[in-house]
Amino acid sequence: MQNDAVVDVRGVTKRFAGHTAVRELSLAVPRGAVYGLLGPNGAGKTTTIRMIMDIIVPDEGSVHLFGSSKTGRDLSERIGYLPEERGLYRKMRVLDLLVFLAEAKGVGRKRAKHDAQTWLERLGLSDWAQRKVDQLSKGMQQKVQFISTLLHGPDLLILDEPFSGFDPVNTQLMKDVVLELARAGTTVLFSTHIMEQAEKLCDAVCIIARGEKVLDGRLAEVKRTHGGQHVIVAVEQGAASVDNVFRDASLVAKADNYGQYAELELTEGADPQQVLERVLAAGARVTRFEIAEPTLHKIFIDLVGPEAGTARAEGDDAHA
Amino acid sequence: MHKIWVVIRREFLEKVRTKWFIISTVLGPLMMAGFVVISILVAGGGVATRVITVVDMSGSDFGEQVTRILNAPEQWNVRRLRVGEGGLGRVTDSLTAVVGREDLDGYLIVTDEAVETGQLEYRGSNVSSLTDMEVLQRLLQQGVLIARLDRVGVDPQLVSEAQIPVRMRTVNIRDGRETDESAESVFLLAYAMWIALYVAILLYGLQVMGSVVEEKTTRVVEVLMSSLKPFQLLAGKVIGVGAVGLFQLLIWGLAGWVIIMRRDVLLEAFGVEATTAQAIPLPDVSMATAIIFLTYFLLGYFLYAAMFAAVAAMSNSEAEARQAQTPVVMLFVIPSMLMFTVLQQPTGSIAVAFSLIPFTAPIAMPVRWAGAAVPLYELAASIAFLVAALCAVTWVAARIYRVGILMYGKRPGLKELVRWVRAG
Repeated sequence: MQNDAVVDVRGVTKRFAGHTAVRELSLAVPRGAVYGLLGPNGAGKTTTIRMIMDIIVPDEGSVHLFGSSKTGRDLSERIGYLPEERGLYRKMRVLDLLVFLAEAKGVGRKRAKHDAQTWLERLGLSDWAQRKVDQLSKGMQQKVQFISTLLHGPDLLILDEPFSGFDPVNTQLMKDVVLELARAGTTVLFSTHIMEQAEKLCDAVCIIARGEKVLDGRLAEVKRTHGGQHVIVAVEQGAASVDNVFRDASLVAKADNYGQYAELELTEGADPQQVLERVLAAGARVTRFEIAEPTLHKIFIDLVGPEAGTARAEGDDAHA
Repeated sequence: MHKIWVVIRREFLEKVRTKWFIISTVLGPLMMAGFVVISILVAGGGVATRVITVVDMSGSDFGEQVTRILNAPEQWNVRRLRVGEGGLGRVTDSLTAVVGREDLDGYLIVTDEAVETGQLEYRGSNVSSLTDMEVLQRLLQQGVLIARLDRVGVDPQLVSEAQIPVRMRTVNIRDGRETDESAESVFLLAYAMWIALYVAILLYGLQVMGSVVEEKTTRVVEVLMSSLKPFQLLAGKVIGVGAVGLFQLLIWGLAGWVIIMRRDVLLEAFGVEATTAQAIPLPDVSMATAIIFLTYFLLGYFLYAAMFAAVAAMSNSEAEARQAQTPVVMLFVIPSMLMFTVLQQPTGSIAVAFSLIPFTAPIAMPVRWAGAAVPLYELAASIAFLVAALCAVTWVAARIYRVGILMYGKRPGLKELVRWVRAG
């Protein structure tokens, strides 16, 4: 596993004036995996990704890519990077811009031109190739940015919060393209704070909070270890009356109650059937009852706690 | 190395395509042509054709003589109008009415008493032209002198043989050799170099600043940093913008050369005769002067571009950068105001000091060089200091740049800047 890791982060720590953004973090992204780096805002996701890309240098620890000792910058021809802060030269023509960004990664001019045109055509932008970026709509600019991260056919895609800021149509488009590339063997590392998306996309995850790793591993494994027994109950009437059932500590270890919908984690040895009986006995009309795997969102909240969603005060905004 | 080249090419092509570049490239030569025309028209105001009437009230041939002498300059057309006793008022009234119009610049009243008293009267529309009045005065002096000598019996032939006009030619000596530069042309060259260097260094230095701020505010820098080292980006940018500067100076230089070479055509269009145009002293730019100019332009530009890039990297927006640039601009502009001293006394102690201090040398040394002979060891010392300062400034600026371009939020204080430099 260690040798096959495309991204191998070993015990990195990064301190900024006044606080530690990332502390002794280790993670390994296996070849061909879709890997989610999860955490609340200010957890250190972007700092971690910047260290992987060698944009900033860790104070301690090391990063290895493709099993070599070369930095992300030296290997930029093999990496597609979408930063959290998106932006393009506004006054440049679309095609020139794409060619320039690819050339800066070390791709030859001819190939860059050809690949840029192919991708522009594929995403329906070929009519706009000679326009200036600021003449494009926001959605089109997002597409151009997206093309710039993958037109050179990278082996590794690093996407920092890829689903924030993009409109729904482009988000869907990007998901499709990323998954297609992943199926073709591209390794994908992306960060997000939206667990539902991670759950649908990832093979493996690493959850961090306040700069430290909380857990990592393959998604199925994570769910098994942190699962417990979960039950989803949805009721139509008498929502108030079932509250007593959910508060029964002998039966329910944790309840995530939304009123008409609740996710329950049962105590060890408790029988889901018993829960159903008690709910019906309470006079509620049940519309859904499911013995479920825990959602990533729930695991995340359980492990990190709601308070981790708020970043610590000391200047996190500038560096996180 | 290849990546730096990629950045250079982008910077060059994008800048050259802007409206700003195209307009200023065209406007430069136009302004130069305008400057040449205006300065020649102003300086040579007296060489334009002048039509003057001599109102001759003398009973002798004094009026005739004066008329002959005044007709000596090629562009002067002087007619004589004999006026009897008592007719003066009527004639001057009618002449006054047409002066400034109908091809008459003015009239001169000549009487016999003038030979005694040396007093004559000229009325005209060109009395404010110093050159005109100087010529008139000189010629009348000559006329009166001849008349007076004639009266005491000196042969007029002898007098006119004894008189020759005196003209002093000034010759600039440099490096122990005479050159064919005149005092005016030396001054003109030094002045032109001052203006050109001042404008070019400031203009292109600020271009670098704008370019860095743009990358930061649009956040393109984050993508660039994933594939380029900060120094590659900085070096490529500074060299690229510098190349644009050289390119523009080259166009301006060529256009200027053509304008000066073909100024007769240009001036003819404005009604100045070709011979006059050729007579105006214009600087002769030697190869060495051109090399000195370009060397100092590049060194000065690199020095200030590095500082402007660091300033830009510290700022979050264009408005912030404009504020933060003030110390750097002051460092450049304030000594430039004192540059006139260098221009007037190119061998004075201020000139020598300025041409050795790295932050003022890029302008002071070429101006000195154009104005007077500069010892070779001083030139070498000036370049050495400048290169040393350039290395030091670039080292510091690159470190500030490297941290600054990825920092958003509060602008750093001096203490934090020191930490940035150390952290690099």
